[in-house]
Amino acid sequence: MSKIGPVAAWAFFSLCVIAVITLPVNLQTQLIVSVLVVTFMAILKLIKAEGRWRLIALAFGTAIVLRYVYWRTTSTLPPLNQLENFIPGFLLYLAEMYSVMMLSLSLFVVAMPLPPRKAKAVSPGAFPKVDVFVPSYNEDAGLLANTLAAAKGMDYPADKLTVWLLDDGGTQQKRYSMNLVEAQRASARHVELQALCDDLGVRYLTRERNEHAKAGNLNNGMLHSDGELIAVFDADHAPARDFLLETVGYFESDPKLFLVQTPHFFLNPDPLERNLRTFEKMPSENEMFYGIIQRGLDKWNAAFFCGSAAVLRRKALEDTEGFSGMSITEDCETALALHGRGWNSIYVDRPLIAGLQPATFASFIGQRSRWAQGMMQILLFRFPLFKRGLSIPQRLCYMSSTLFWLFPVSRTIFLFAPLFYLFFDLEIFTASGGEFLAYTLAYMMVNLMMQNYLYGAFRWPWISELYEYAQTVHLLPAVISVLMRPSRPTFKVTAKDESIQESRLSEISRPFFVIFAVLFVALLMTVYRVYTEPYKADVTLVVGGWNLLNLIMAGCALGVVSERGEKAASRRVKVSRRCEFGVADQWYPATIEDVSANGARVQVYGVDAATLPVDTDGLIRFEPYSGDGTSETLPVAVKNKEIAGDITTLGCRYLPEVARHHSLVADLIFANSQQWSEFQKARRGNPGLVGGTVWFLWLALYQMSRGLIYFARSLRSSDQAEATR
Amino acid sequence: MNRTLAALLVVLLAATTQTFAQSNPFDMSGERPAAEPPVEMPKQEGGGGQPAIQPDAGADTLSGGARHDFRRYIVPFDALSLSGEVDERTWSMYLTPAQAQSPATLNFGYQNAIVIAPEVSSLSVFVNGELVGEGPIKASDTPEERSYELRAGLLRPGSNDIRFRVQQRHRTDCTIESTYELWTEIAPDTAFISFADAESAVFASVDDIRAVGVDGNGRTRFNLVVPGMAQPSRTADMMRLAQGLALRGHMPAQRVILSQGLPELGKPGELTVVAGTVDEVSPLLAALPDGAAGGSVTAFVHDDKTNAPVLVLSGPDWPAVRAAIEAVAEPMDRPSEVPRDIINTERWLLPETPVVAGSTRLRFSELGVATSEFTGRRFRSKFSVAVPSDFYADAYGEATILLDAAYTETVLPGSRIDIYVNGNIASTVPFDSATGGILRHLPINVTMRHFRPGPNLIELEAVLLTEQDKVCAPGAPASTDSRFALFDTSELHMPNFARIGLRPNLAALSGAAAPYRNSAGTIPLFIDRADADTLSAAATFLARLAVAGGRPIAVETIVSPLAAGTRNALFVGTLPELPKTVLTQVGIDPSRQMSWGSAQATGRGEDTQKAIDEWQTRLSGGAWRTQITALQNWVKQEFDISLSSLRILPQEQADFAPPETATLLIAQGANPTDDATWTLVAAPTAKLLSDGVSAVSDIRQWQRIAGHISTYEPASGAINVVPVTNFEFVQTRPASIGNYRLIIANWLSSNILFYAVALVVLSVLLGLATSSMLSRLGRRP
Repeated sequence: MSKIGPVAAWAFFSLCVIAVITLPVNLQTQLIVSVLVVTFMAILKLIKAEGRWRLIALAFGTAIVLRYVYWRTTSTLPPLNQLENFIPGFLLYLAEMYSVMMLSLSLFVVAMPLPPRKAKAVSPGAFPKVDVFVPSYNEDAGLLANTLAAAKGMDYPADKLTVWLLDDGGTQQKRYSMNLVEAQRASARHVELQALCDDLGVRYLTRERNEHAKAGNLNNGMLHSDGELIAVFDADHAPARDFLLETVGYFESDPKLFLVQTPHFFLNPDPLERNLRTFEKMPSENEMFYGIIQRGLDKWNAAFFCGSAAVLRRKALEDTEGFSGMSITEDCETALALHGRGWNSIYVDRPLIAGLQPATFASFIGQRSRWAQGMMQILLFRFPLFKRGLSIPQRLCYMSSTLFWLFPVSRTIFLFAPLFYLFFDLEIFTASGGEFLAYTLAYMMVNLMMQNYLYGAFRWPWISELYEYAQTVHLLPAVISVLMRPSRPTFKVTAKDESIQESRLSEISRPFFVIFAVLFVALLMTVYRVYTEPYKADVTLVVGGWNLLNLIMAGCALGVVSERGEKAASRRVKVSRRCEFGVADQWYPATIEDVSANGARVQVYGVDAATLPVDTDGLIRFEPYSGDGTSETLPVAVKNKEIAGDITTLGCRYLPEVARHHSLVADLIFANSQQWSEFQKARRGNPGLVGGTVWFLWLALYQMSRGLIYFARSLRSSDQAEATR
Repeated sequence: MNRTLAALLVVLLAATTQTFAQSNPFDMSGERPAAEPPVEMPKQEGGGGQPAIQPDAGADTLSGGARHDFRRYIVPFDALSLSGEVDERTWSMYLTPAQAQSPATLNFGYQNAIVIAPEVSSLSVFVNGELVGEGPIKASDTPEERSYELRAGLLRPGSNDIRFRVQQRHRTDCTIESTYELWTEIAPDTAFISFADAESAVFASVDDIRAVGVDGNGRTRFNLVVPGMAQPSRTADMMRLAQGLALRGHMPAQRVILSQGLPELGKPGELTVVAGTVDEVSPLLAALPDGAAGGSVTAFVHDDKTNAPVLVLSGPDWPAVRAAIEAVAEPMDRPSEVPRDIINTERWLLPETPVVAGSTRLRFSELGVATSEFTGRRFRSKFSVAVPSDFYADAYGEATILLDAAYTETVLPGSRIDIYVNGNIASTVPFDSATGGILRHLPINVTMRHFRPGPNLIELEAVLLTEQDKVCAPGAPASTDSRFALFDTSELHMPNFARIGLRPNLAALSGAAAPYRNSAGTIPLFIDRADADTLSAAATFLARLAVAGGRPIAVETIVSPLAAGTRNALFVGTLPELPKTVLTQVGIDPSRQMSWGSAQATGRGEDTQKAIDEWQTRLSGGAWRTQITALQNWVKQEFDISLSSLRILPQEQADFAPPETATLLIAQGANPTDDATWTLVAAPTAKLLSDGVSAVSDIRQWQRIAGHISTYEPASGAINVVPVTNFEFVQTRPASIGNYRLIIANWLSSNILFYAVALVVLSVLLGLATSSMLSRLGRRP
């Protein structure tokens, strides 16, 4: 009952603020208020005020945003009788209101994120039985071997731990497919993986038909197992050794707990990070989600299942007859169903698995399309706002998570809105220069400051916008199609083991260049109109400025779709680990520079490079994190070499012979979870609004030119191809 | 044709004797040579039963015994100037049945700017909507007289609309600036309707008071002859009479003069009223109306010499006189609590002004703006709307004009429509299509900043640029291709606005006689001395208030400010004679009470202020000071934010010392108990008081009265306003949250920092409340 007082006080003050905000005061007043509030916010931000001050700063921001909404609603819509202005104007208005709604939902979610939890150890001797599911569809054996070896190597009583490979690539349906090639491939895979599992001491399981995709596969796994808890890892997500010890303990204290989710940590950059070269210094895109949003959701008991790196309770899953498979994002849907039945979830903010993410822009977009479409399906089929059994905060949290994926629609509108004015002279936003200054500019500044306040260390300024823009181009059709035909999309597995052999434009880059060209023409149009129509230069400059912002975003995105080439056949992970390289019974001091699922690059000191022709067999000896402190050896073959004085850099391929070798590879690649946290922490610096903006402008300029160079190059090569033909 | 020429000749001749005509306008000597006027002499005998007027002995010898007609000046202004490419002025004049029936000619003289091209410019006169005459504008060298005969049956008893309209084009220039050089002036003392029937001068009934008319300067005067005016018990009745007359006359500039003896009769724009018991008035008049000795009488008698009507209000005793006064005044009574929905402005501005008290849409057609097509460069159109006296939305309010208009493709982008409110620019809308366009209900926001209680003049000006005008080939200014059209389906949308009375607020007083109009009881009136000048001033002022408020205001005289109690009171007198409490309450420096008006005493405070200002300008050379001033100016210019609007503490208002150049001051304040309004009308002497009040009662001056204190300077004719800085609210309507919200919005819009601080404080509180709520809800660390 102690809750009623604070809620009533909050409601009272909210009403007061709304009453003051909806007063129709004049422009001068708004201008002074904007200056004052923006200054206050800036001061609070500069002195890095936290705790209560953080909420006060957010309240300031909310006040300005609400003033903007009030003004936008009451004074800026084009008149209804000018349909050519009103329709686009109203769409823009809706897009803005959507953004404001998303801002308020995310404010609610992350107003006070839970700090990282304290580890909870399992009571001695009370270890529950855990089944580890590794669902696979088409991942190759090498990758699976690493994951399975890492899973098998987790610290947990061996008799309580069963690792299952749930193979959907070797089902009866596939093996007896009418398509001969597919059938052959599936049978071979079936045999190969069975052998691998036997070798690693892992259970292999497949089923008759590929029904309900991943959810069906996991449910099949449940049918054949009986552990109290189920841990799920994607085929390319290898757990750290302490994964279970860090997560299982929570189930003991809360019998209604159905999920412990941990963050997904990626060893390789996503295509944006790789192409923009920001992986080493800037926090990854998903860190905002796992670093802040899941913690915020956790406060409201609404952290949801993200498909992997989580432990679930069998009893809870049985309550809803397993994993839900209505949407193509079965993970979130399952969590929603279980929250609706009164089960709880928690989120542990510590990276305990490391994985790989899509390497090419095309597969990145494929993955995002699945998420967007799945979330839309949840929105349509399960509309969380009215779902029974959820608490009000949970409803809002799920609305926030699902509605987020409508961003392609609003982004598109923001992208094209200025063009209505610049090209067609339509006035879809009626405001004077002074009003724009007092309302819109203040709103934009406050918006940026709030974002920076909320996510500063996890998301640099303008990066959200860049990610959203880069996805919008291809996500818009996906989102619209699912809205049109909600049950159409089917589960597609994201390929994560592709690689870029040489620098090239992404195969889906064309629209980005078209949009860039259109926006660039709009920029020229702006200049032209400022000179030819000086009497409305102020409006033209404001709209042109907006278009310029879009152009900067589009220019930066040109760099995103210009894939940088990489030499390695598969994803490389930097490790820098001391080792010894052995060839012909001779051991040389060496460092492992980077590793991939198939091989490693090793710098060796003092070896005579001439004695190392290609395909020479060698050995790498190093101390695994998982062992007891003694060094172990991994057989390799030399594939290439570079010589620089005393130092020879060797490209090696693993030649795993026994199961232990797979574990060693996993140990190399997936290292230990402490390292991952440290790596993440190193990237988490808030450059500040001004610094971040300047940096982003520079980045955009550089990436734009890189994109244009790639584009010119691709034209030339296609010309040559033409000529040779 | 010949007849017209002859008439023109007559008028021309008349013009040459203008100076005489002015001193004695009823002297018809100028018209003598015309053998023309088709006057039926016998008619004279028929009307009114009055003896034939004798010619004025002092006038032209030629006029002896042959005075044919009666003239009424028609222009209710002291000057009538029509400027720009199109302009018009419409008002109405009241005609008695006799005047309406009489054959009549409309005459006027005009002069115009030399740059006007006569062949494409015209001046038209309409009476009751009918074109009575039209001609080129060609009197650039010397004034030209025009005379139009009004056809029989055109005039009607009661109100008759008169409209002057010009179409003017420049001879050579096509620029926008050149349109400002176009003007045509009609001298009010040359513009009159001449009624052939001399009986037109006769007033038959009390209703005919409305036909009092104007003199050659557009002014009206009621001469109240009250032999017993010195008796204080009669003051209230005289004030009531003055108001009754003023409301009947309803002319734009009315003056009431009280005297004990008869003034000179027969002057235009004047009506003499004799009020008193039979004993008092019989020495003044040759004959009293029948029955005066027996009971109350309200009747006209006519002067033998001039045929001028004299209204006699008499009876055996004062109560009977009072009854006679009521016969004039009572029909003018209106309930105090019923708001008006139109303001009667017809004698100087038609159509009448609608009162907008809340959310309303008014079509332009209702506002008197007609659909018009325009071929020139600068189109102007105007209309008037009134807001109530408790209008309080000047800081935040915005009205909307939903404009229906069209422009052709010849109109270049960069053309625009400007909206002016009471002469201040309130909005600008550019035309930005290069291919012409039809605007359908285009919303134009018009700030209400320049609105004031009472009628407000809203002008719409379209500035049209064309390629043709840039080239300006010969004949181009006269082009007749329409470029722009304004449709009368356009609308003015007034939103609900904040309504609360302010104290002090002279604008509400001048606009709608607030707060006195709304008092159901009597208003205490303090008059320092019951002499003719002071009483005239009080009567003129109350008459003006009555016209502004649309109803007579009942008064009672008081001899001490204390007697006013909690009622709104009025103080009229010479400054030295007024009680000090009154001065302090309305913010006048009592130390200047005795010195105002004596030339040797120059205002100390003024000098100090001047010296400080001078020093400030002299010192403004410092670098950072210039920077700050420049910033201030920039902010002021761009955003209209001044330091004073950022004040938190109320400004200290120094007592006002009336400047030596001023001869009249009107000041308002609260009574000592802060629950009523006191208004002071004061001058250094009684004569100045009477003249000053008369001068400011002219509608054009009257509308400028505003603020806390207004002073009138006769030399420049200027009204200087001391703005309201400290005020209190006066509840005028039942409490409602919606109205309070708007009142708060307006108050905060003029006290910006309060809004900012309120928002900041509330945000801090909300932040704290959120923090406390969040730490109790959901999971806790």
